[in-house]
Amino acid sequence: MRPAGRSETDSLYFDYPHFPFVRPPELEGETVRHRVAIVGAGPVGVTAALELARHGIESVVLDDKATVNDGSRAICISRHSFEILQQLGVDAPFEEKGLGWTQGRTYFRDREIYRFRMPHSDQERYYPMYNLQQQYIEQFLIDKAHASGLVEIRWQSALTDIHQDEEGVTLQVSTPEGEYRLQCDYLLAADGGRSRIRESLGLSLHGQAYEGRYVIADVRLKSDFPTERRAFFHSQALPDATILVHKQPDDIWRIDYQLGPDEDPEQAVEEASIREKVSLIIREVMHESDDWELEWWSLYKAYTLALNDYRHDRVLFIGDSAHLVPIFGVRGLNNGLADAANAGWKLAWVLKGLAPDRLLDSYSPERRGATLDVFANAGKSTRFMTPPTRGYRLMRNAALALAFHNDYASGFANPRQVTPYTYAESPLTLADDPAFEAGPVPGAPLINRRLGDDDFLLDHLGEGFSLLLFSEDGRVEPTLLRGVEALQARGVDITLLRVSRSPGDEETLVDVDGSLFAGYGAEPGSAYLARPDRHVAARWKRLDPADLEATLNAALKTALGGD
Amino acid sequence: MTAPTLPFDDLEKVYEHLAITLDALPEADESHFLAQLALALAHRVPDIDQVMAAIEEARQGATLD
Repeated sequence: MRPAGRSETDSLYFDYPHFPFVRPPELEGETVRHRVAIVGAGPVGVTAALELARHGIESVVLDDKATVNDGSRAICISRHSFEILQQLGVDAPFEEKGLGWTQGRTYFRDREIYRFRMPHSDQERYYPMYNLQQQYIEQFLIDKAHASGLVEIRWQSALTDIHQDEEGVTLQVSTPEGEYRLQCDYLLAADGGRSRIRESLGLSLHGQAYEGRYVIADVRLKSDFPTERRAFFHSQALPDATILVHKQPDDIWRIDYQLGPDEDPEQAVEEASIREKVSLIIREVMHESDDWELEWWSLYKAYTLALNDYRHDRVLFIGDSAHLVPIFGVRGLNNGLADAANAGWKLAWVLKGLAPDRLLDSYSPERRGATLDVFANAGKSTRFMTPPTRGYRLMRNAALALAFHNDYASGFANPRQVTPYTYAESPLTLADDPAFEAGPVPGAPLINRRLGDDDFLLDHLGEGFSLLLFSEDGRVEPTLLRGVEALQARGVDITLLRVSRSPGDEETLVDVDGSLFAGYGAEPGSAYLARPDRHVAARWKRLDPADLEATLNAALKTALGGD
Repeated sequence: MTAPTLPFDDLEKVYEHLAITLDALPEADESHFLAQLALALAHRVPDIDQVMAAIEEARQGATLD
């Protein structure tokens, strides 16, 4: 919502693009068969299109709008998501525009009681978190999609019905110039929390709603306060409301505040109510005295809802269409992007004939597992942010008061920000080699390590699978090299990354300070096999060159859906 | 030597269980219940200095304004 007199796209800082409707060949009576259709050109849908394009697969994206999202909405992008964006070759504008941050503060009764720091070191290319308005996120992804040549985005095209059978999926599409049928092999449903596809297939989300509503409001305000997450509990100005404050680019500040149980949500989102509360928070809680302007606001309620299965034959649900999670911990967008990367590479592998269709069966357990992991913590953090009862409020305030002087209670004030999920239980993940004492376990994403001034391990990953081979000087046993070449000759997209302790040839990645070997718990002869989405499929403390081909073949077979 | 303490995961369980227990009591009995709980817990701590330190921690938190 925006102040009176301003339209949904009349922003103080963002020029909304207008995407024209372009007549598709189907409207001219041509029969076109698309391999992949994606419904929803939000961040999740377009990320999936870019992941498919990265593997050479074309897709068509439908969206009923003529522009990007109306408000800033999801504003926190995690490091893991940035590593996805890097693989898509679109990280540069995000890094340039986004505001990186590493820490946050918790206040109780207007006193800072706790400061949390997210894991960060000079071994990382990216900050643990970046703030960036969703319009920019969408704009940067759409720009990349337009430039890719493999993604066709059809604006002002609304899905009205869907039918699938063994042959494929047929969509009924409504446009300003008439209706048409679109046919595709697979469909990615990225059409958000109110998914029309979900409804058309007769599916519904299961889970629960939590007490308490929040207003999320953006204001333009000049302030020198650094980019951090601030949480205010029991402030003098608004004792019953939890308040969250985030800085965004363009001098935009996000203020989230909780509505009391007696407040009428309809009245709370009226402009006069928003202005009154926001003004109070800016002056009395943030202690800012400069003028401010109201930009945009929305109402939010916490849910933990998910589909029972994210795959329905030829339809994969990605992002909010599959799951709704509470905002605390910034898991909505970040998990959606991980869905897109997971579904994207698997679909590409199946369509290229490199994996059986059942590889797609692993999408649901892996990504639904990530959702259920969020749910397990969501109840706790939501009850902390928004105590549903007197008992929870009393305990929450007691924990915060103790946390001021006592470290043992500070864990309660930690916002438990999103961390990447480990696919340990996945059918694609091999059992761990017990000889390892450190490093990412099978199912976990690869960790980054610095190799030079502007040079990091993850910069060197291939498009497909990557085999990290640790050695003394970068030399690889000829039998091992032949084994990898034999795989490549069979069409397996696998990139060999040779990590060495001492400098070898030009292509060797030299571990200058030992932190790469240490981070991976590796010794010369160790190997990690990583999937296209950077998650470890298998690792060996000592990979026997003589068994390499058989060992790798078996691991790849498992990682691609098994026999 | 530091005395062993309750792991944080367990402390979280205590937090949840106390919240639910408090909700099941009339509000007027809240402080009566909490004072009994303090004595019952203190009885289980064999070191009086630890108990006195805990009382001081809670006093400081209560006067945080």
